[in-house]
Amino acid sequence: MSTARPTLAGTGALVRFALRRDRLRLPLWIALGAGLVASQSVSSQTLYDSPAALVAYRDSVGSNAATIAFAGPPVGLSTVAGAVAFEISASVMLAAALMAMFTTGRHTRADEEAGRTELIRAGRVGRHAPLIAAVLVSALACVAMALAIGLVGTATGLPTGGSFLLGASVGACGLVFTGIAAVAAQVTESTRSAYGIVGAVFGVAFVLRAVGDINGSWLVWASPVGWAQAVHPFSDDRVLPLLLCLVATAGLVAAAMTLLDHRDLGSGLLPARPGPPRAGPLLGSPLGLAIRLQRAALIAWAVSLALLGAVYGGVGDAVETLFADNPQAQVFFPGASSAGLVEAYLATIFSINALLAAAYAVSSVLRARAEESAGRAESVLATATSRGAWLGSHVTVALLGSALLVVLSGAATALVRGLSSGDLGSFGRLFAASLAYVPAVWAVAALAVALVGLAPRIATGAAWGGVAYVVVVAMVAQALDWPGWVGDLSPFAWTPLVPIEAWTLPVAVGLGAVVLVLLAVGFGAFRHRDLSTG
Amino acid sequence: MDSAVSVSGLVKTFGATRALDGLDLEIATGEVHGFLGPNGSGKSTTIRVLLGLLRPDSGTVRLLDGDPWHDAVALHRRLAYVPGDVTLWPQISGGEAIDLLGRLRGGLDPARRADLLERFDLDPTKKARSYSKGNRQKVALVAALASDAELLIPDEPTSGLDPLMEAVFQENIREVRAQGRTVLLSSHILAEAEALCDRVSIIRHGRTEQSGSLSELRHLTRTSIAAETARPVTGLDSLPGVHDAAIRDGRVRFDVDTDHLDGVLRHLAAFGVRSLNSAPPTLEELFLRHYGDELAEDGVRLAGTDR
Ligand SMILES: Nc1ncnc2c1ncn2[C@@H]1O[C@H](COP(=O)(O)OP(=O)(O)OP(=O)(O)O)[C@@H](O)[C@H]1O
Ligand SMILES: [Mg+2]
Repeated sequence: MSTARPTLAGTGALVRFALRRDRLRLPLWIALGAGLVASQSVSSQTLYDSPAALVAYRDSVGSNAATIAFAGPPVGLSTVAGAVAFEISASVMLAAALMAMFTTGRHTRADEEAGRTELIRAGRVGRHAPLIAAVLVSALACVAMALAIGLVGTATGLPTGGSFLLGASVGACGLVFTGIAAVAAQVTESTRSAYGIVGAVFGVAFVLRAVGDINGSWLVWASPVGWAQAVHPFSDDRVLPLLLCLVATAGLVAAAMTLLDHRDLGSGLLPARPGPPRAGPLLGSPLGLAIRLQRAALIAWAVSLALLGAVYGGVGDAVETLFADNPQAQVFFPGASSAGLVEAYLATIFSINALLAAAYAVSSVLRARAEESAGRAESVLATATSRGAWLGSHVTVALLGSALLVVLSGAATALVRGLSSGDLGSFGRLFAASLAYVPAVWAVAALAVALVGLAPRIATGAAWGGVAYVVVVAMVAQALDWPGWVGDLSPFAWTPLVPIEAWTLPVAVGLGAVVLVLLAVGFGAFRHRDLSTG
Repeated sequence: MDSAVSVSGLVKTFGATRALDGLDLEIATGEVHGFLGPNGSGKSTTIRVLLGLLRPDSGTVRLLDGDPWHDAVALHRRLAYVPGDVTLWPQISGGEAIDLLGRLRGGLDPARRADLLERFDLDPTKKARSYSKGNRQKVALVAALASDAELLIPDEPTSGLDPLMEAVFQENIREVRAQGRTVLLSSHILAEAEALCDRVSIIRHGRTEQSGSLSELRHLTRTSIAAETARPVTGLDSLPGVHDAAIRDGRVRFDVDTDHLDGVLRHLAAFGVRSLNSAPPTLEELFLRHYGDELAEDGVRLAGTDR
């Protein structure tokens, strides 16, 4: 960095300060990325210890659209190392993107929102310094994660060059999302919406690459996740996609700097519009307030999940083609029909949508906690609003909203699948199948409610930890050599993979009971504890 | 007993911090009660206990003849609270927030709302994000004052208001008192308490140090006297209650404990008083006397005492 540029004055000091603030968080993220790779490397080498096992594996996943949708391009599967990269790269890239988003967002928009940037900029600090410092810290963390992955890959017996290339592809994905977060932080006024934008971009990027990988089409090149996965470590070892990521990052950061030049401190790009002088009928009850506060987020999620469901539904055809074109697959799944594979694919899609709905539900429950720590709950609870009614209103939005997401995405998938297969009669059956995942979604949400009641100060982190856990279990648990109970704790592991497995009443009732118990614990604890601000 | 608030022996701890340590507070119905204390003395904590937002560790707390923890919802219909640090919803306009809080409390008077918006010069169409601190405070004040609540609890309500708006606030509180409603006004600003309060309680370290009407508390204070006499004053130092006497060129200045004012004035009269200036004791002074020792321990020199 050049201190000759006055707009960058103070960047070095800010980087050191940010690194000190993040001295716990960043090592944890990096350890998570490296740990996932190490764990996958060890498991895969144990599982595919013979060439025959590897061939069987390749034939099974190479034609399985469900796996490809989750994981990435089915390349390099002739070696164990390639299988490791195939299995784990998507999860690690998600971790890198989240690390980049939180690191960049925390040191830009979150600081600005809290008024800390004002304090800092009043000192001898240039206009661009906080932004560039945040980008540098995030970039350093990405590089560190890349190196850590290279090291643990090598240490667990994978080829050295490929290991570091795998690390580099993960780091490159993190860099692009650093740039995306930097831009998002300029566009919006609130950290929450900046994170929403980055999350949505990741979601779109993930879907584009999933569709592209299943179709084998150019769509992967429209997605930063696709670029990072196009490196193909342990097989093609391509470097060009890495350069593409670097160029994109530089462009995004430059765009963020330009945007920063065109706005005032504390504001976003869009000027705040005046609101109505009187409240409408909605703002007359705690539930109305919760709906008003969460409406925009719910609409954004609903549109995204409906689109996602439609896209995934449309890919069903490609799943059949993939199977038909792959003679080994027909050997590997004796007696399997392409129809069966499509059902398996759809079950995976339903559970992906349900996992996303669970993430929404948790963010929605945590809205209550955010209201509490910001001190706004205090204003409401000092009126004739009971604690149960206040918390209940947010929880109602979370439960009904997440069910709505499952319904919308399930309907979209079933409808598009029905249209593209010419069999609209399957709509009812597939739509009903998607609903089987609602109890699991609610269980994750109810855990968040219990945490808000019992342990408000750690609730946010712990509830997101719960989401991360069910996602990781869903994505990698079968491929990993973890003890069974680790996966069994996830409510998604209890849920039968409808439509390939049959829906069962006892599981639904059992999960329903878990939901009720967790809700009762959460509400009971919340009624009996101090309101905790800050 | 006709008391709106009755607290005795209230204890509240946060981990190792003893925020309230046996606090007592009595507020009669219809009075404006000043609740004074330095930063961190426990004013906001007491108010949060009174609102049922915090659960007391021990002590008895009665509010409008109810238990603030168990009867929170019923009691909150009858009171209006203005938080010390007003945070509003970023995407909701000031006018919407006023209506929302009013409705959740059980309704507000539209005419009074319009009148208050005008008097506080508040634009209700702005979103919270674009309000200044003072304007956020006005939103909460309008919401509270537009209600018919029997008890108003503003926590340091004027800390972000300019002097003009402070005057508007004082005017409003006087009207509230004239209607026979009760006010618990926490404040650092002594002039405000002097201007508004019937009685005050002064707390420190979570304990009540003094409580009473302003005239009762003035017993604890000194009046400053400056006089010009025909003959030089003598024997002043030997009188009880006189402090810091200085005599020069037929002028005399001293402070006198308010209880001993009478005797000292008689003594002075014997020297032929030509002019007399007396400054009544202020709460400011009471405050400084009260907390002066604490500040002095911390090495802080009070303005005016270092010259
Ligand atoms: N939630 C909490 N957790 C821990 N300590 C707290 C909490 N709330 C208050 N305290 C502590 O309790 C003490 C009293 O705080 P309180 O906010 O009641 O003071 P105050 O008189 O309102 O001060 P100020 O005039 O600055 O508003 C302080 O020492 C404060 O640090
Ligand atoms: Mg306070």
